[in-house]
Parts: sequence; C-alpha cells; structure tokens
Amino acid sequence: MAQHTLEVLVENSPGVLARVAGLFARRAYNIERLSVGPTANPTISQMDIVVNLEGHALEQVIAQLDKLINVISIEEILPNKAAPAVHDTQPDYQN
Amino acid sequence: MSQMTGASSLVASLEAAGVDVMFGIPGGAILPAYDPIFSSSIRHILVRHEQGAGHAATGYAQVTGRVGVCIATSGPGATNLVTPLADAAMDSVPVVAITGQVPSVAIGTDAFQEADIRGITMPFAKHNYLITNPADIPRAIAEAFHIASTGRPGPVLVDIAKDALQAMTDFNYSPSVNLPGYKPKLIPDNQSIIDAAALITQSSKPVFYVGGGVIKANASRELLELAQLLGAPVVTTLMARGAFPDSHPLNLGMPGMHGTVAAVTALQKADLLITLGARFDDRVTGKLSTFAVNAKVIHADVDPAEIGKNRFADVAVLGDLKNTISALIPALKNALGKNQPDLTPWLNQMNSLRASYPLGYDKPSDGSLSPQYVIERLGKISGPEAIFAAGVGQHQMWASQFVSYENPRTWLNSGGLGTMGYAVPAAMGAKVGAPDTTVWAIDGDGCFQMTNQELVTCALNNIPIKVAIINNESLGMVRQWQTLFYEGRYSNTSLESKRVPNFPMLAEAMGCVGLSCEREEDVDATIEKAMGINDQPVVIDFRVHRDAMVWPMVAAGASNDDIKIARETAPDWDSQEL
Repeated sequence: MAQHTLEVLVENSPGVLARVAGLFARRAYNIERLSVGPTANPTISQMDIVVNLEGHALEQVIAQLDKLINVISIEEILPNKAAPAVHDTQPDYQN
Repeated sequence: MSQMTGASSLVASLEAAGVDVMFGIPGGAILPAYDPIFSSSIRHILVRHEQGAGHAATGYAQVTGRVGVCIATSGPGATNLVTPLADAAMDSVPVVAITGQVPSVAIGTDAFQEADIRGITMPFAKHNYLITNPADIPRAIAEAFHIASTGRPGPVLVDIAKDALQAMTDFNYSPSVNLPGYKPKLIPDNQSIIDAAALITQSSKPVFYVGGGVIKANASRELLELAQLLGAPVVTTLMARGAFPDSHPLNLGMPGMHGTVAAVTALQKADLLITLGARFDDRVTGKLSTFAVNAKVIHADVDPAEIGKNRFADVAVLGDLKNTISALIPALKNALGKNQPDLTPWLNQMNSLRASYPLGYDKPSDGSLSPQYVIERLGKISGPEAIFAAGVGQHQMWASQFVSYENPRTWLNSGGLGTMGYAVPAAMGAKVGAPDTTVWAIDGDGCFQMTNQELVTCALNNIPIKVAIINNESLGMVRQWQTLFYEGRYSNTSLESKRVPNFPMLAEAMGCVGLSCEREEDVDATIEKAMGINDQPVVIDFRVHRDAMVWPMVAAGASNDDIKIARETAPDWDSQEL
C-alpha cells in the first residue's frame, strides 16, 4: 500500500492537534508520520500527515478531517513524477 | 459596546442569538452566569438532572427547528450532559451546551469539580470551545449557534472558566462569523442534479430512501412534489417518520431491522436508491455486502463525509436538501419529458407486498393487554397533529410502526445513539417548544425509570406532557433477543415493574395525575381521560403482556433478504414476483 502525504492547514488554536489525532484514533486510521509547524501566517499552522491508506479509506479520512471546524484545507501531496492519483472510490467490500 | 461581566456578556450574547428558553441546573463554576440569567428575558427551566436538560434541549430543537440550549456547571454537571450531547450528535440535532469550568488558574490541577469537558466531548461534538478570556465569549456564542444550526446540524459545547465569567469585559456581539475551515456547501452543483435526473429516468425500479435530513432541511413539501412527480415508492427511516405522510399511497413505511416487508424489499430489489438525507446505517442496510446489490445509488446529503462512507454513490449530490430537491424537480420534469420509464410493474409488486404483509400483531391469548394495541389507539385518538417522543426499545419500534405520522417534527426518538430515558425529557422540551400541541412520551418501564424525575420539572413549570408507560415489566427488547438468540435465558431483564414502583403513585408524588390501565376495553377511556387533562402532566401505566415481540425483524448482522415476519417465518417469496 502506497504512502500518501496530506498537507493540512489548521487554525493555530489550542487543542487542534488533539482534534486531528483523536479523529484518526476513533476512526481506526493509523498515522505513519506527523509533523506540525508554523506558516507565514501566525494564525495558521501546517500539519503534514503521512498515512498508509488509499482508495475509499483515504477518501473517508480526508472527508472526515475536513469536517473539523479548525481544519482549513487539505491537500494531497503527490510523489514526484507520479501520475495524478486516481482514487478508487469503491468501498472495499465491493472490490 | 458596554462594560459588563463575562457572565452578563454570556447572557446578553444568548439573548442576541435569539434564545428564548434554556434548560439547566446551576452550580459553583457556572454560578456567576445565573445572576444575570435571573433578570434575563430568557426563560430558564430548572431541571432535576443535567441529562434531562440536554434531552429537553434536543426535544425543543427537534420540534421547533431552532437551536436547543442547555446549561450546567463544571465537573459532574458537564459530564451529565455527555449522553444527551452524544445523542444529539448521532441524530444531527442543533444543540448548544454552556458549561462552567473551574477558574483558569485551576485548570489542570484536578480542582474540585474539574472535568475536561472539552476533551470529553471532542470525539462527537460538532465543535467545542474552552473560553478563558471574557472578550472571547460573544464570538464563541455566535460561532456556536452558527455551527450548530447550519450544514449538518449538531451539538456545540462552550465551556467557560469561572474567572472569565467574573471578569469585566466589553460586550460586542456580532452574528457574523469568520470560520475559514467551515463553509458548508448548500447549493448543489447543477451537473450533479442533471446526472441524478438522468439516472432516475433510466430506472425501472427506483425507491426514495428518505432519512432524517429531509426533516432537518424542512424539505417535506418538496419531497412530496418530487415523489408524486416520479410516482416511485418512498421509504422513511426511523429518523424520517413524518417526513412523508404515512397515509400517502406511495409510502411503504419504515425500512430496516424492524421495517415493513414492503419497505425492506423495495430497497433490496430496487435498481436505484434515491437517497435523501439518509446515511446507510447498519440498522437499515443489514449486512452491507448483501444490501440492495443491484441498485445504483444517488446520494444527496449536506455532509460530504456521508457520501460513500458505507455505500458507493454513483451520483453524489452535495447540498442542502431543500435546495437539492427544489432543483431536482424541474430537472426531472425535463428528463421525464424525453424518457418516461414505466414504473407500473414495480409499483404493482410493492403494493402486492404491502397488501400481503401489512404490519400487524397477535393479541395475547390470555386476554392481557397488547402493547401494540395501546400504541395504535394512542395514535388514533391523539390525531395527526400530536407529537410523540419515544424511549428506546420495543415500545419505540411499535411507536414508529403503529402510529401514523402525517407531519414532520411530530416523531422524536433517539435513533442513532439509542438512549434509554430519552422520552420524558425530550417530551418536556417538545412541549416547551410547542405548548399548544398534545405531546405524548411513549415510554418503556425501563426507560421511564431512568429519567422520570423530569416530571417534577414539568409539574412545577406548567409543562403538561402526557406519558404512556408501556409496562411489560421487562427490558423488553433485550428480553426479545434473549428469547430469540439466548434460548430464553432471561439474564437480568426482569424489572418487576408491575410490583415496584407503583407508577401512578410515583406520578402523583411528582405532581402529576397517575392513571393505570390493564384491560383492552379501558384503553380508549383512559387515553381520553388523559387527553382531557391539560393543566398537569399525566402518566398512564399501561400494564401489557410481557412476551409481545417486535416483527418483522432482520437479525443483527443478517441480510435483509432474511427478514422474518414472525419467529422462524419468512415471507412467502415464491408467491411474489420480484
């Protein structure tokens, strides 16, 4: 399974890391790697989240992350030279 | 802008947000707020347990469509709100909870009555706040009401440290909010509407799979027009009872674990599910891999995370359902003008199923009272304008099955979380929101013993709800499962509630009228007597047969194809052409 990197812009507010980490835990998704840092805008932080997910599960984690009020945007960083990712949106049971 | 305490700023913000009533209990950390509440225009209803405040806020919101508000102190006051807030989250109810928190310097020190209620509610609240600076209070309240009531509604908690309530601040409330990470998409894309209309015209076996979202979006009238335009059958989930009139010939009833044979089979055999504000819950789909295997799916919802969560959507329509259905009507008219599918064979099949397998029940052979009969009569005598709130269990399923719902916001229950004890406080909130309407709590004897203390609140605050206890002296649904799946070993499901407590006496002790009924010939007269009492809450102890079971049933984890209409009795599929 390929690793995917999500570049997540969040409001720089208390508890936002707990919100993101808690979402992964309760939806039973694993975080491979996580880093949090500032951006040029002091009210916004950036989280880079590496996950071992694809297809339906990756779509779901992005959709659920996006529901967090403090999450401003989510961008999937594609590996260099790779073709644009075509997400298989079929839930796993139908595969 | 004017100088005032954080507490006054909180109450002024709630007034500015349009709050007219809230349910709560004071305590140490929230005490500063209760001083300005004392002289506020907001009606504060002093409940007997914070859980009651939370469910009352939910009941109020479900009936009025407005945000329900509850308020509690720190620690146990706040944790007692956890169940109703989780309940509101599962059923997408707009609720704002205000809690006091220990002073900011004490946060993190395990202070008296300290609980991290923001952390505790983080997994399910739509959003939450911990406020330590009084200047943040008006903005937090404005955002909380905006977030709770827009998009997919849900509960928002605002936890405020005591020192922030006590400190002086400038009051500066603006209803406009700036939330860069929260922009619900309300207007559906035109292309998704065109795609949905095209898919509908290619279908010869479509079904409207209608969920609670239609009620949240106030889209019942639009749904009626859309359903009649296509002439396809409609199923209404447990959360959507009343979204489409039960008396309408296209309505096949409720799908799911205890759904009608026609509604369950319509979903199973459809070639297209027109899904409107529903979420493919396991209680509807049964075993997911066997659910509606030949159907394409149109999934219209305001929450993008619901699209494709449990079932792949061939066409996703993202937007507010009132907007979505309003746009779909002309698009479908246009598409039907080019290609009008013949749905007659499909409708005939479904009507034949409905005629062959209507909801029904056997009356107990020993002459004791049938719970389904009681509930059926409650519905008939109270009429289609009455509001019903149910607890959770057998009586809830019967109240969904045997009361005919003609109007949205007349059926309240805990669908997602399945919270026993929901009925009495939810009915209280409903009656506050709709004081001129008859409000019944249809409750079980188990549920009633969890939250009946709110009848005191009702009696003292002129909230004359009516409670029908369906007393089978058991945790009836659990007992049913023990009958079916545990060889009748009734471990800890006998409540002995025909011996203790004496429900009519308990009701009288709480300032209500207490009635009792155990014979079929007395049912109508007892209900009519309760209908005539409007200056006091009324409780009727309907002492019913213990072994009545909820049918039809799809066992948990089983396929909907294995629906049973009675114990070990499947519909006679061979006689049906499907």
